[in-house]
Amino acid sequence: MNNTLFNTQSAPHIPNKNTVTKVMLTVICALIPAIMAHIYFFGTGLIIQILISVFFALFFEVISLKLLKKPIILFIKDYSAIVTAILFALCISPVAPWWISFIGMFFAIVVAKHLFGGLGQNIFNPAMLGFAIVLISFPQAMSVWLPVQEISHYNMGLLDNLRAIFIQQFPSSVSFDTLTQATPLDSIKTGISQELSISEITNSPVFGNFGGLGWEWIANFYFLGGLFLIYKKVISWRIPVTILLTTVVFSLPFNLYNADHFIGPIQHVFSGGLMLAAFFIATDPTTCCSSHKGLIIFGIGVAILTVLIREFGNFPDGVAFGILLMNLSAPFIDKLTIPQAFGQYE
Amino acid sequence: MREININPNQLSSFNGGLHLKHHKTDTLNEPLAIASIPDKLYMSLRINRGNISKPVVSVGDIVLKGQIIAVPDSPNGSYIHASSSGIVSAITTKQTASPDTDFATVVIITTDKKDQWCQRPLIDNIEKLNSQDIITAIKNAGLTGLGGAGFPTHLKYKSENISTLIINGAECEPYISCDQQLMIDFPQQLIDGIFLMLKASGAKQAIFALEDQVGGIKSKLEKILAEQNINNISIIKVPTIYPAGGEKQLIKVLTGLEVPSGGFPINLGIIVQNVGTIKALNDFIKCGQPLIDRVITVAGDAINQPQNFKALIGTPISHLLELAKYNPKNTHKIIIGGPMMGFAMPHTDIGIDKTSNCILALSKENTQQPADTLPCIRCGDCVNVCPVNLLPQQLFWYIKGENLEKAREHHLFDCIECGACAWVCPSQIKLVDYYRYAKSELKYLDFKRKKSDLSQVRHNLRDERLQRLKDERIAKRKNTKLRTGDSAKIKRDLQATLDRVKNAKSIRDNQHE
Repeated sequence: MNNTLFNTQSAPHIPNKNTVTKVMLTVICALIPAIMAHIYFFGTGLIIQILISVFFALFFEVISLKLLKKPIILFIKDYSAIVTAILFALCISPVAPWWISFIGMFFAIVVAKHLFGGLGQNIFNPAMLGFAIVLISFPQAMSVWLPVQEISHYNMGLLDNLRAIFIQQFPSSVSFDTLTQATPLDSIKTGISQELSISEITNSPVFGNFGGLGWEWIANFYFLGGLFLIYKKVISWRIPVTILLTTVVFSLPFNLYNADHFIGPIQHVFSGGLMLAAFFIATDPTTCCSSHKGLIIFGIGVAILTVLIREFGNFPDGVAFGILLMNLSAPFIDKLTIPQAFGQYE
Repeated sequence: MREININPNQLSSFNGGLHLKHHKTDTLNEPLAIASIPDKLYMSLRINRGNISKPVVSVGDIVLKGQIIAVPDSPNGSYIHASSSGIVSAITTKQTASPDTDFATVVIITTDKKDQWCQRPLIDNIEKLNSQDIITAIKNAGLTGLGGAGFPTHLKYKSENISTLIINGAECEPYISCDQQLMIDFPQQLIDGIFLMLKASGAKQAIFALEDQVGGIKSKLEKILAEQNINNISIIKVPTIYPAGGEKQLIKVLTGLEVPSGGFPINLGIIVQNVGTIKALNDFIKCGQPLIDRVITVAGDAINQPQNFKALIGTPISHLLELAKYNPKNTHKIIIGGPMMGFAMPHTDIGIDKTSNCILALSKENTQQPADTLPCIRCGDCVNVCPVNLLPQQLFWYIKGENLEKAREHHLFDCIECGACAWVCPSQIKLVDYYRYAKSELKYLDFKRKKSDLSQVRHNLRDERLQRLKDERIAKRKNTKLRTGDSAKIKRDLQATLDRVKNAKSIRDNQHE
């Protein structure tokens, strides 16, 4: 009777029903309100961008897994490539040409993810690495944004968007000038280089109450989605809270020193990709720190770098670079913030 | 001695932990059942990690209930008594129900069902017993911790500086309700047992810790305490969070103090005892019954009549499963202990031992992983639940990369293997397996290093000795040289001798001619 009759796998014997797939699906769900708002303000271009990015992400994912001889179905089912693709699509312009997604997803999935060892092994956030590469390499294509539909005299329909994305043909009534100055941070950057003051720049119709027109609403929905993720315990409160607080605290002195030249804290928080990054990108567990103290340092670092790049750098938005630089520092922060174990007091 | 003050309204807490479904009402709705005497008893001689008792019976011996069948082989050992009367039919190496599912020497007793007692040691004048008497009784009763680790109880009472006795009634693992059953059925015996333990330890106060999910037990115990005017025992409810029943976690919740890493509660002047151990001591002092039975929960979704049983130590798992009407077809896993830390048994022909608090029979649906194991995504859920503030994902990372020393730096040895990290892991990684592997590997490496260090020392000593002998030889030769004078004189002497021999030879030759 010494033969094994029952399964002898080790404890815990009653597993929890949480899975990576569920985590990723929760993230996607949390993004839906913001995606809807985005479509409301900027039109259907985003849907096309998401579809293209997801397509290329899965395409590169399958090829990489095949070349690396890893189980394809198992890793496709985790939905992590889809999350990367959606985050990337949310960062780029809704009318960016299709090959932006192609190149971005190549660097995100093949370089940032699989060359570093695949799911869970990457040092850089894949979506941010892909975004940074296309931002640096194709600044012109990346700076083309649509104005908010409310203030635009011509709203691009689905067909217009498709033509813009696939053959780069814009309707004749949409001028190139409005396209390139559409994002609030862009117009601030250009405005300041033309020696305009912030208050003069923010009189432009692309600005709303405290951020960009439309942008501030999308940011609100990212905030709501982020709260949902914190409630679901998918992300910790530490990174978003420290990023938002540090952005306010760190940008305030600049703004007080010279309000004409430096953006105000609220403008910082509600512009560009900060809200998206604070809740959805910087919180990517693989590429941030592991200890609670480390997460707080990470968040502070992202915020400081973002503000510095926005104020003093050449790029209108610095969140992506802030995150990538902090991704690089995360292992070192981890090394210095090993928490004291139970009973390990002096 | 450290004074420990506990304020029931201001309990402390530990990091993380889990809120698990209790699954305890099924067994507690039924009364405590007495399990019948099985045909065979498998008495494991294994005490706890590495300690095995020495058998003092041989095959064919007739044994009586309560008779000593094994004696301690080392100071850390313990006595083992026959749970019922019968014949020793074999002494063999067999799978045991011990936490590490080791094989160990097992005395198999074929019972005669007469349950005949041997001469019981009756103790008179219980009031007059002093501390040493009670500690001796603890040893003679073969008491080991009934909570899980099986540490021989008498070893806890060595220190003089014990201020507080904590009675651990917090059964934090799901399904297990044997301690709760004891508290419901034997409150008076438990209070009496606590008194004996207080006397043995010299502690001033006892704290009876219960989970806040238990029903009317607290009021019942408090009524007894009030009736008998006892004021050095207090009953405190702790939040039901897994693993609040771990002794270090329980101490932290109650007192806010942390047992130092690598240390024991005794370092804080605290002794923690499981309620089962208290009851067993009372049984021995009052009725002369050594530790030969215990309350065990038989539950799980493959059991038709989940119940708590008072069962003899050594009763085969199969016997208890049949009493609880289990469904063998539906059973995928048989577990000794709880679903979080218990060990899966390969078959049911294994005797329960003193530490077995629960038998779980679980179906495949209930034990199935919801998805295939994926790589760690470093989500940090494990960090949030770890009750000893570790970074489980970092430990996993280092162990997977065979960087074990790094894992040690990240306090691997403070891990209590509660399984909370593995439970929350969305990638379904069996994290505790990795930690166990790394711990045993590191212990082995340390052992090897110690051994090689020792042989290095031996080697150095040998070299030294050889050098010394060589030096001595040279010195001796020098001495002889000194005694015999300079080399020229030696040469002359030698020449003289040679000449003498030559002369003698030539004289001899001449004589011959």
